[in-house]
Amino acid sequence: MGRGNRRVMTMQVTVELFGIPRARAGVAVTTAVGRCLGDVLADLASRFPELGESCIEGRALRPGYTANVGGERFVTSSDTLLNDGDTVLLLSLDAGG
Amino acid sequence: MHAYHGCYLRVDLTTGSSERIPLEESLLRSYLGGSGLGVAILLRERAAEVEPLSAEASLAFVFSPLVGSPLTTSAKFAVVSKSPLTQRINDSLSSSGFALSGKKTGHDAIVLTGRATEPSVLIIDESGVRLEPAGALWGLPNREAQSRLRERLGADYQVASIGPAGERLVRYATISHDGRHAGRGGSGAVLGSKNIKAIAVRGSHRCSWGDPAALIDFARKLSEKSFGPATAKYRELGTASNLLVFNRLNVLPTRNFQQGSFAGANAVSPEQLGVSREKTRASCAACTIGCEHLYGLRDGQGNVRLEYENLFALGPLCGIDDGEIVLRACQKCDELGLDTISAGGTIAFAMECAERGFLDEPWLRFGDGAALLRALDMIVSGDGIGRMLAEGSRRMAHEIGRETINFAPQVKGLEIPGYDPRGLQTMALGFAVGSRGADHNRSGAYEVDFSQAVDRFNVGPEAAVLAIETEDKAALLDSLILCKFLRGVFTDFFVDSAEMLQLVTGWNVTASELRATAQRIVTDKKRFNILAGWTPAEDTLPERMLNTPLPEDARAMLSSARLSGLVQAYNVARGWTAEGWLPELDD
Repeated sequence: MGRGNRRVMTMQVTVELFGIPRARAGVAVTTAVGRCLGDVLADLASRFPELGESCIEGRALRPGYTANVGGERFVTSSDTLLNDGDTVLLLSLDAGG
Repeated sequence: MHAYHGCYLRVDLTTGSSERIPLEESLLRSYLGGSGLGVAILLRERAAEVEPLSAEASLAFVFSPLVGSPLTTSAKFAVVSKSPLTQRINDSLSSSGFALSGKKTGHDAIVLTGRATEPSVLIIDESGVRLEPAGALWGLPNREAQSRLRERLGADYQVASIGPAGERLVRYATISHDGRHAGRGGSGAVLGSKNIKAIAVRGSHRCSWGDPAALIDFARKLSEKSFGPATAKYRELGTASNLLVFNRLNVLPTRNFQQGSFAGANAVSPEQLGVSREKTRASCAACTIGCEHLYGLRDGQGNVRLEYENLFALGPLCGIDDGEIVLRACQKCDELGLDTISAGGTIAFAMECAERGFLDEPWLRFGDGAALLRALDMIVSGDGIGRMLAEGSRRMAHEIGRETINFAPQVKGLEIPGYDPRGLQTMALGFAVGSRGADHNRSGAYEVDFSQAVDRFNVGPEAAVLAIETEDKAALLDSLILCKFLRGVFTDFFVDSAEMLQLVTGWNVTASELRATAQRIVTDKKRFNILAGWTPAEDTLPERMLNTPLPEDARAMLSSARLSGLVQAYNVARGWTAEGWLPELDD
């Protein structure tokens, strides 16, 4: 499924969860649908209410959480476009220790 | 003056005498407390030019204006000296009752010089300052030594001690208090070189506060925020939960930084360690976060505090995928008084040397848990290879030769914490320029890499100011002193810090003043290092981490030219010369 179909197709992405997002969702990996990060977050929030309540506000990540696409680029904007088959990581922002 | 006693206690251990040295309000306002005040005192004591394990060396236990206040996480103290591991400034922080009772002795810092004539304990209480023979305490592990000394003196004393590693002058020995450690850089060896097993403090001198009612209100609101989502990760999971994230991002240092991911990561993850083990939580005094997660050993021989840095250094870095071994190694380091990062880093380096034939130690192999535990014991006993291991990876590499220094995992002699700099290149800059060496506590530059601000595989000079921002925040946090795990709860850290400081001291301090204070503290650490012999060539990374990518990801490659450019950009943004000299010292 190519980028040219982005406007009309529903994208499915793999979501890997770490730290608090994993604890709230109760799963380490799931799938979600959406054209952009905001869509994916809204989908996750609807299926994992605890995750939604703790980590997601509407279609955006709450402060303290971040997302990463494919282990490469960190993103937080809800408008970040995704490709079908992308992997999105959800994680707590702080490191340290 | 509110929040301070306006003096420090200077103890000459050679003569057993002590004196109170005044601290002017202007100096306190310029350096606050903790790391900042410690550096200022050490510069005054001319500690930079002195061999750190000599009798002439100074070792400062430094409190802060916030200690004793109702502000959450403020029960902290800094231990500041010249490091026997790096020969540069070393400021390591620890927490809890020792800070509260130490400040109540009526001093803003306790500075030790000289050397006791025999193994001793130093007692500071209402009746004065005295040395007593350590007797049977010498040789005991930390917990037992502290427990026995409190049995002897009374439970209302708070005790900081060294373990056998400090007694044997291991260059990365810690100072321990109540299970926590002033861990990095070898302050335990400095205390050991002074023949001091432990310091016991008790006091009744309380400081007044600038605006007590408003302070209580501010503290209540801060505590409420500290229960919120910004600290949930630390409270619920602990820092060890970083392990799987770092593994996924290929920045988990593995087998002496030969890889950025570890096949056995799941087996040693806290998620797995928590299965079928007792798990409990604890916190420092005056803390509402409670980040400490303790895991029970399977044989019932105690619960072990586990942090990410312990886990990475004694697990993946040494190729260990057995959680029980990692926990036992952590426990051993706690009791012996060893910095886990330097212990793990030095052993991992030795494992690679042995596997490559540079050391004739066929038993020392990556992934061998028994070898890891044996090596930890040897560091303290000094038997066999233990003598070299006790010196840290840089000295060990110089002794072995054969260009092994290229893969000794250190900067300025301090072993690198659990962030592979090739895939976190703003952090690479933070490591390279760090005043005490490779350091995740004095530079939070990894936060920049974990954001949209930079491409972590290809960081440009614009990252320098972002790295500086994290370093300045850390300098202020370490001088106020507040726990770094609180940093996410502030709306504007410098503004909120100014308000806090105003409430405790009564000073009309502003955010911009505190920004200048943070910069001053960082600059004075550099000043100390220059006096101690720093040269620009030190601000780099090991050859292994330059010009060769991580095997998992070709993009995780940092050229020496790019790192040099980053260091120059950092120096210029600091207002120093491009090489890193302070302008007033540059001839």
